[in-house]
Amino acid sequence: MAPHFGRLTRLAIVGVACAMQAFAQTPAPDGSGLPAGANVLRATLSQTALSERVVEYEIDARYNADKKSLDATETLTYHNLTGQPLDTFPFHLYLNAFQPTSTFMREVRLDKPSFEWQEKYHASATVKSLEVVGMGDLTSQMRFVAPDDGNPEDRTVFEVKLPRAIAPGESVKFRIVFHDQFGEVYARTGYKRDFIMGAQWFPKIGVWWQGKWNCHQFHATTEFFADFGTFDVKLTLPQNEIVGASGVETGNVKNSDGTKTLTFHGEDIHDFAWTAEPQYRVYEGDFVGSLGHTKIRLLMQPGHARQAERHMRVMKETMARFDRWYGPYPYPQITVVDPPHGGSEAGGMEYPMLITGDTTWWLPDGIRLVELVVEHEFGHQYWYGMVATNEFEDAWLDEGINSYTECKVLDDIFGKDKSALDLWGITGGDDGLQRDTYLSATDRDPLTRPAYEYLNYASYGDVTYGKSATVLLTLEKVIGEETLQRALRAYFLKYRFKHPTSEDFLKTVEEVSGQDLRWFYDQAVYGTQLLDYEILRANSDVTDWDRSSKSELDARRELFQTSVVVHRKGDFVFPVDVQVQFENGETATEHWDGKDRWHRFSYLKNTRILSAQVDPAYAIPLDKDFYNNSVLKPGDHAARNKLTHYWIVFVQFLSQLLAWLT
Amino acid sequence: MQKETETNWEQPMKVESNGVLSEGARRVWRYQRILWWMFAVNALLALFGVRPGAEQFGSVLNYSQHAERLSNSFDVFAFLELIAKPEIQLGSVNGGAVCFAVVFFFFSLFLTGGILEGYRAGRKLRTAEFFHACGVFFWRWVRLTLSLVVCLIPIMFLASMLFGWSADLSENAAPETLGFWVLLVGALLIVGLSMAIRLWFDMAQVHTVAYNEQAIRSSLRHALRTTRQNFASLFWMYFRISFVSWLILAIALCVWSRMPGRMFGWSALMLEVVVLAWFAARLWQRASETVWCERWEVAQATQLSPARPTAVPSPSASVSPTAG
Repeated sequence: MAPHFGRLTRLAIVGVACAMQAFAQTPAPDGSGLPAGANVLRATLSQTALSERVVEYEIDARYNADKKSLDATETLTYHNLTGQPLDTFPFHLYLNAFQPTSTFMREVRLDKPSFEWQEKYHASATVKSLEVVGMGDLTSQMRFVAPDDGNPEDRTVFEVKLPRAIAPGESVKFRIVFHDQFGEVYARTGYKRDFIMGAQWFPKIGVWWQGKWNCHQFHATTEFFADFGTFDVKLTLPQNEIVGASGVETGNVKNSDGTKTLTFHGEDIHDFAWTAEPQYRVYEGDFVGSLGHTKIRLLMQPGHARQAERHMRVMKETMARFDRWYGPYPYPQITVVDPPHGGSEAGGMEYPMLITGDTTWWLPDGIRLVELVVEHEFGHQYWYGMVATNEFEDAWLDEGINSYTECKVLDDIFGKDKSALDLWGITGGDDGLQRDTYLSATDRDPLTRPAYEYLNYASYGDVTYGKSATVLLTLEKVIGEETLQRALRAYFLKYRFKHPTSEDFLKTVEEVSGQDLRWFYDQAVYGTQLLDYEILRANSDVTDWDRSSKSELDARRELFQTSVVVHRKGDFVFPVDVQVQFENGETATEHWDGKDRWHRFSYLKNTRILSAQVDPAYAIPLDKDFYNNSVLKPGDHAARNKLTHYWIVFVQFLSQLLAWLT
Repeated sequence: MQKETETNWEQPMKVESNGVLSEGARRVWRYQRILWWMFAVNALLALFGVRPGAEQFGSVLNYSQHAERLSNSFDVFAFLELIAKPEIQLGSVNGGAVCFAVVFFFFSLFLTGGILEGYRAGRKLRTAEFFHACGVFFWRWVRLTLSLVVCLIPIMFLASMLFGWSADLSENAAPETLGFWVLLVGALLIVGLSMAIRLWFDMAQVHTVAYNEQAIRSSLRHALRTTRQNFASLFWMYFRISFVSWLILAIALCVWSRMPGRMFGWSALMLEVVVLAWFAARLWQRASETVWCERWEVAQATQLSPARPTAVPSPSASVSPTAG
């Protein structure tokens, strides 16, 4: 049966297609690859849709700051662009995860048996009524489902079956009255004292993806997935609250009962989050990118006011690089929220046009936590916000790519070896941080495993962030850093406002690089092979070792047989460079395809070997052990002596501390 | 041996405190052999303690170019990678270090009698005299240390409560820094309290040596009274010396943080000087306490009734190899 589109819908789709075509392909006059006249394409309050707007949410909510609860009416218009009739619609009720018998909390407990449930974490989203316009009240048709684990106690997904199917091209309008009770912030959403982070707070419809509904339960290790659309949200709350939200504020009305009603409008976004707190200090800045001005709005805690400049600076630096490297940020505003102390569970999170940072009052400049978090969360505006991958099933696509671009941006701002830490002579680069994370879970899970099927929370984090970033840093060695950056730009421009898969990304990299990279993907992305090369042996021996007496001239003409054996310890096959240095200053650079288990390089020279090193540029961070990559002859004891002495001093002080008791 | 004389405890006595610290410092300087021995033994034991760790570190670092990230600078992720390697058994390394720290604890406990006797004598003791004093008082110090530990248990309990409380305030109190300030003030109070208790036990040790007191409880009672009556001047004396040692540590750490990573030879030397300074400070405290006690005894003697002459212990002959 052919799709049956309504006229209006067809027009809308043609309009969207034209807009996307123009946005994606029309080159900028300056040759930057940006669309011509791009400054008119602002994703909020614009006439042109940037995305296939599948959903239209209109929510009228009243927040009770005393009870930390919210009552709302949501009107959701869903456009059936699936090409087939739909009679069943699933919805997320994420807040119900914060209940002791939910799948989320069971997984938390399974991962950490010492975790104890506290009633303050309890949260809920209750649908009081669900009506489908034209079909009547269907509240009784709602039923909770648990598609992932069958947990009958889990209430994070419900579905409703309509009396008649919605034809392709038709729209359906749901009117849902719901009540939220927020808990103390545990994972992303909730309150802390006067602070409230309203995230994942409304019934959100699933995504028709790959021929079926994709609406997973909320797991301890999963994030989110939703369709693009428009959001018109009215939020009524006490007048003293300072509010930040996705979208832009379009109205502010003071009510006679001491409340105010704020109106927000967002377009081409797939989620809506808001926050309120009377104590916020507001700072505003302006970023001028290739699409014009973007307002940066910081909502800082009073005690963190002196860090506002740090936040603002890293935001502007990051936005400039993303704009230059990957593509434009099309929204007119971005809000950065600084959660209060004790509320850091709400920190380090991304929502369309709104991100949360994470800091403390004492944080010195050398510990770049502010910069790491703010950069990372802004990066999600691209890798999740616009390139809206399925975070349930392909978590590495947003977290991994974003962690990789985080390394690139922070290295560019602060320098490669100091982009994460530079304090008291102790340094650390962000790529080192990602690699260190990867080393904790080198071979536990492949990148492409669905987030809720990882071994545990640690493995999920280590693999989706650290290993994924390290895989991409290693991919630079194969195709070049510049090519990978171009591939990311192409991927962004092609898949923004869409839901690409792992294969979409991997194929894009292959297309841009012009290389068949399956050998790499099979091991690094789909597999769990370990990459570890070592110098097994490196030595020089005189060729005339059997001669007992030699003249001075003989000694000068002495020839040495040098042998360097490189060993592939892991199962990951990767071509490597080997650098051999000799005492007379000569250097030999070799290349080995790495396929065999070991390979010997032999030299006949009148000089001895000084050092041998696999991957001398440290360009293969997936190598799980950098220490065995080289052999020095003679050894250098400086590092050992340094560590040993610090250890000695520590023991001396420990001894003194104990001796204080005598 | 002199036995404790009857004293008019109800009358607080004025002790001439001027010059106590300088006289204490003079005695430490005069008897600096103790300082050097303690430092040397401490360094030697620490060296033994870290030897397994040094070997483990060496097996990985000595022939690897990646080690430059630790010698030329200090890359924290290179260090984390190092300690995550199976060759590095941090548990056994730590265990060895703690073992040698415990050995030094007993060594220090053993020497305390000789040290106090030396400061009391105001002269260099002969080796036999020194070790005799060490032996004579050793078991008393064991008993005294056990008593000290018992006294410190409530302090540790308090400290644990303080940490919990401040952590809770840091999470939940409206002022963000409240938890920190509570922790800081509480920690200062706990440190102060611990110092006061240590001072009391120091005075008990000085008393035990001065009067060759066998009964630890009696020494503690006596020292408690003395310390309580003269708390301000004694604590001020103790605190000033501690402050000097903390100041030296703070300055050294400040300098260390600015030293280039490759200059670890100099930083090693500087940190050893700090260790030495801390030993000197502790010995200075002990010597000053001994001097203070001597002056207190003199003041006590002058206040006693002529009908009840007091035998003030001779600084030179409280313990001898033939006595006790």
